[in-house]
Amino acid sequence: MTTKTLFIGLDGCTFTVLNEMTRDLPGEGVTMPFLAGLMGKGVRAKLRSTPNPLTPPAWTSIMTGKGPGHHGVFDFIRAEDKGGDVYWTLYDSRDVDSEMIWSIASRAGKKIVALNFPLTAPPPKHTDGSIVPGFIPAKHLRRNSHPQGLFERIKQDVPGFDPKELAWDFDKEKQAMEALSDSDMENWVRYHLPREEQWFNIAEYLLEKDQPDLMAVMFDGTDKIQHQAWQFVDPALIPAERTDFYNRMRAVCREYFANVDRYIERLVTLAGPEAQVFFASDHGFTATVEVLRINAYLEELGYLKWAVNDGSEQAMRREASDFANLDWSQTVAYCRTPSSNGVYIRVAEKPGEPGIPARDYNRFRDKLIEQLKALRNEDGEPVIVDALKREDWFPGAHMKDACDLTLVLRDNGFVSIRNLKPAVVKRPHPIGTHHPDGIFMACGKGVSADGMVARRKIVDVAPTLLHSLGVPVPSDFEGKVAESFFNADWLAQHPVQTGEPTQRSGERQQSEEMDDQEKQQIIEQLQMLGYME
Amino acid sequence: MANDLSAPVPDAALSDALVKKLAVLLADFTQDWDNEFEGEMSRGTRVLADLGFESIDIIQLIVAIEEDITHKKMPFDKLLLKDGRYVDDLSIGQIADFLAANL
Repeated sequence: MTTKTLFIGLDGCTFTVLNEMTRDLPGEGVTMPFLAGLMGKGVRAKLRSTPNPLTPPAWTSIMTGKGPGHHGVFDFIRAEDKGGDVYWTLYDSRDVDSEMIWSIASRAGKKIVALNFPLTAPPPKHTDGSIVPGFIPAKHLRRNSHPQGLFERIKQDVPGFDPKELAWDFDKEKQAMEALSDSDMENWVRYHLPREEQWFNIAEYLLEKDQPDLMAVMFDGTDKIQHQAWQFVDPALIPAERTDFYNRMRAVCREYFANVDRYIERLVTLAGPEAQVFFASDHGFTATVEVLRINAYLEELGYLKWAVNDGSEQAMRREASDFANLDWSQTVAYCRTPSSNGVYIRVAEKPGEPGIPARDYNRFRDKLIEQLKALRNEDGEPVIVDALKREDWFPGAHMKDACDLTLVLRDNGFVSIRNLKPAVVKRPHPIGTHHPDGIFMACGKGVSADGMVARRKIVDVAPTLLHSLGVPVPSDFEGKVAESFFNADWLAQHPVQTGEPTQRSGERQQSEEMDDQEKQQIIEQLQMLGYME
Repeated sequence: MANDLSAPVPDAALSDALVKKLAVLLADFTQDWDNEFEGEMSRGTRVLADLGFESIDIIQLIVAIEEDITHKKMPFDKLLLKDGRYVDDLSIGQIADFLAANL
């Protein structure tokens, strides 16, 4: 086996749950015995996520070694404020304005496999190896897999391969944040069991057959399950009396984690004793107990107006969507999406345009921060404990695309953008939400056996993986190699090397204007293909 | 498509060529979908009503067009947003006219 580095991503994984799953619990035993063994002889640390601990910016930081201000990904949904309208679409790999480890490693002559990572579609160019992107519907998986023919190869060689079972289903994913009935909640967890098995089967196949230098796979059921079923995995929320439903939910959650343990065992065993194995999550998890309807509060403050709902089917659909439905001509401060967890301030570019005059920006923002922090729940507790200014938390070329204020709620919850009152309500029961501290762990040859060490930053994962591969760390990375993860002998033999800066990515930065030469090239291409005289 | 006197006028020959190119792209794009569309794709073929698209598929189609045809980002908001609302459907001809006018 030539694989030097095995990287297993666990979306939303937290030590709060992992510590429970890897210890002997009365009546349950050890759910993840193999991982327990690895943790016992390796090293681990909490991993501080991006300022808004969210899947797209956080995994992009893991893949680029840079923060969102540099890589430019802030949310699932990308919005372009067109003055009178806001145009909504999704972020994709072309928006990532920093080189990913997949191409950095490829340029250094390493072969890679990357499975189920977000923001890897369309496949980043100049990659030597295989990419099957995450968060892409089954219908689009073939065209977005790299290299061409990989999808057909998997279809032919991996028994039971079913893209519909494997891939992201947008309608189903919406359930992660919805209130579900007991049976729907149980089905939601069960839905992820075969999904993860599919990703594991592909990972096992490509690791065994292709033996890449860097083998990376991400399992995202951890996040999805914890959103809905947090009360069944958080040891702090175990009820005094366990109902049948509680026991069933607890059992299916444990089944999921036991499966992941089996996948880890097989992949680590296949990688062999010479490999170094790393685990990381994009953020942790905790419980949220209340809902903040942030746009309802901003309306109370006089900063926004809701769009008029004419009762049509399209208007109802728009109202129910997860991006703000506002009267843009009368809105100066608003939250775009629940996942952004932030407030945008509209600045008028010209007189007469909606927004505040540029000269008033600082005064307006300071006043808004005061008003946000003044909000109390029915028990008199502050709901918003911090409002992060973008220039302090998102330095880089893309700082202007960040929310003007990123909100930190007292329970780490995500805001709601629904047009409902009151602005703050208690949830009927706690549900899972993202915590800024995820996990970072390692084991294998040359890895320290120090157990828990000091917390690392999410941007440290990329340089640590490159160092494990023997690739110099690009000089413009924000993150540093987690040297505490390696033992002294191995570090002495493998000192950290700094290399050339990353190469520019970010195709989205190209102008939308097409010059005459580019147009002529397209016409010539169409003529060459016989579509045009 | 709503009439917009300020919109650029598409080159008819270029638009016709783009219809053919889009038909080839869409045939590949939809080849393994559970869709019952039969026959030849043409200027009047609608992506939602005829090809079974959902909203997410339009986003993916834009990526495919920018990757395979224009090789750069196009201002698709001008095609998709009309009077503050997203259009209900798109024909291959509308997409071709938009591309021909904005290339």
